[in-house]
Amino acid sequence: MAISDKDFEQLRDFIYNICGMYFHTTKKYFLESRLTRRMEATGAKTYQDYFLMLKSPRGSEELKFLMDEITTNETYFFRNVPQLAALENKLLPELVEIKNKMGFRKLRIWSAASSSGEEAYTMAMILLEKRASLLKDWIIEIVGTDINETVVAQAKEGIYNAYSVRNIPDAYKRKYIREDNGKFILSPDVKKFVTFNKLNLYEDSKMIFMKSFDFIFCANVLIYFDTASKSKVVQHFYNNLQPYGYFFVGQSESLHGVNDKFKTVHFPGGFGYKK
Amino acid sequence: MDKNQMMERAEILVGAVDDLPTIPIVATKVLQLLDDPDISVEEIADLMLTDQVMTARVMKLLNSPVYKPTQEITSLKRALVYLGLRHIRELALTTSVINAFDGTSGALELNSFWEHSFGVGMVAKIIAQKIGYQDLEKAYISGIIHDLGEVFLSNFLRDPFMEVLEYIKTHPIKLVDAEEKLLGTTHCEIGLSMAHKWNFPDSYCDVIAYHHNPGQAKVDPVLCAIVNLADLFCTVRGLNYGGREWISFNLCEEEAWSILKNESPKLAQMDVERFCYELDDAIPDVTELVSAMFAPS
Repeated sequence: MAISDKDFEQLRDFIYNICGMYFHTTKKYFLESRLTRRMEATGAKTYQDYFLMLKSPRGSEELKFLMDEITTNETYFFRNVPQLAALENKLLPELVEIKNKMGFRKLRIWSAASSSGEEAYTMAMILLEKRASLLKDWIIEIVGTDINETVVAQAKEGIYNAYSVRNIPDAYKRKYIREDNGKFILSPDVKKFVTFNKLNLYEDSKMIFMKSFDFIFCANVLIYFDTASKSKVVQHFYNNLQPYGYFFVGQSESLHGVNDKFKTVHFPGGFGYKK
Repeated sequence: MDKNQMMERAEILVGAVDDLPTIPIVATKVLQLLDDPDISVEEIADLMLTDQVMTARVMKLLNSPVYKPTQEITSLKRALVYLGLRHIRELALTTSVINAFDGTSGALELNSFWEHSFGVGMVAKIIAQKIGYQDLEKAYISGIIHDLGEVFLSNFLRDPFMEVLEYIKTHPIKLVDAEEKLLGTTHCEIGLSMAHKWNFPDSYCDVIAYHHNPGQAKVDPVLCAIVNLADLFCTVRGLNYGGREWISFNLCEEEAWSILKNESPKLAQMDVERFCYELDDAIPDVTELVSAMFAPS
């Protein structure tokens, strides 16, 4: 269903203010198609009816369904290319330099909403490529956590479909992925750097033990939390980072107004939050 | 390297070029006339009409989707009435600068150069608005002309400049620092030397010379800080000469950010993330504007 530019901006502002996710104008068509599905599901006859319902007290439930539709809930390898480029070109070399000076050659990375493991394994592949140079003799630990046990089991298994692996650069694919009957099987060389566990980000007693990370990633999850929960979880991430560490959210997400301790560091096509 | 030495070197390099493009006298006169509060649209239009190239480009710019006239504007006088006198200065200066370099070829691709420049102009204007800077149009023009020195390097020092561009591909340093290292001067000093030759007003000279270190600005540090910040934002949000330069910055550590926060403390509350996303959305407008300007008549 086509909506006017004005309605699009209204919905975009609403989603941004509540969830902290920005809808680029180029995604208007996509938003419209997902909106149609939700209007059918809820029986809303016009966009205005739907929007009024979204703003009403029972709207918070519906907003979760809408966010599910528009974030597509799918993940794949090498998803956030600008973020990975920044990590590789700048943030990782800087961190290695700091830690080398301290004589502390250990790198810890946390994929805090790891789903079926693509993000954590992407990091593992990138770091593996640096094993002979920048990260020679370094201890590498990558941890993936998710609230959903099924996806944690999938992540541990490390078997993917064509959609998940479509963005992996050929050089990486040749080295780390084996194809078998339409399934894409991850090399044990990559898997051995990553451990997966079930974790609920709301559970303070567990969160305080996730210590001393250099980089933490948490994409497309905080958008489901209300502001108070978001602040609490982000504060945990802040505490769990090393003093020079970075926290990353997903493309189009924003932490504005959630935490004023992090400093925003910009790089081409994105930004990260520095402790 | 010493700033004076870099300036001396820039003067020599610019002085050695015999066919340096000129800014039409008409543009300079328009700028002077606009300082007169009693000037009329008719007088300005009459003066501008004496320069056909400028008139043609002004018309093209006005009929581009960015200005979005409801119907095509065919006369210059109507155009000036439509836009209002304040915008004429912007049009006169920018069209002349563009004309001066149109058709030239150098190490940089001209369209992506202007996309960056107009992008910085647009963002500078938005930042100026946010901090309550008194002259938004000046911020816009400053953005457009801040990197003039790059066009000179690209056109008249093509080979050494190509080496600079190659160098930054493999070394994570800023373009301006690579220029200093390899050329002994930068686009800031070169641009300033050109701006002096073209009799640009002092505040524009200041922006051209100090947009990378606004704290050292002589005339208008706030304006230089606005352009510096706009430049940084454009470079990380896709208006970066086609991916020419890889930079990163931490806003809290930027001198420009401190200068502007000092000017307008509420800037500290700015939603920088959303600002970046909105900037992504505005990029098609900028590329559309630039392609409209360079479209064949």
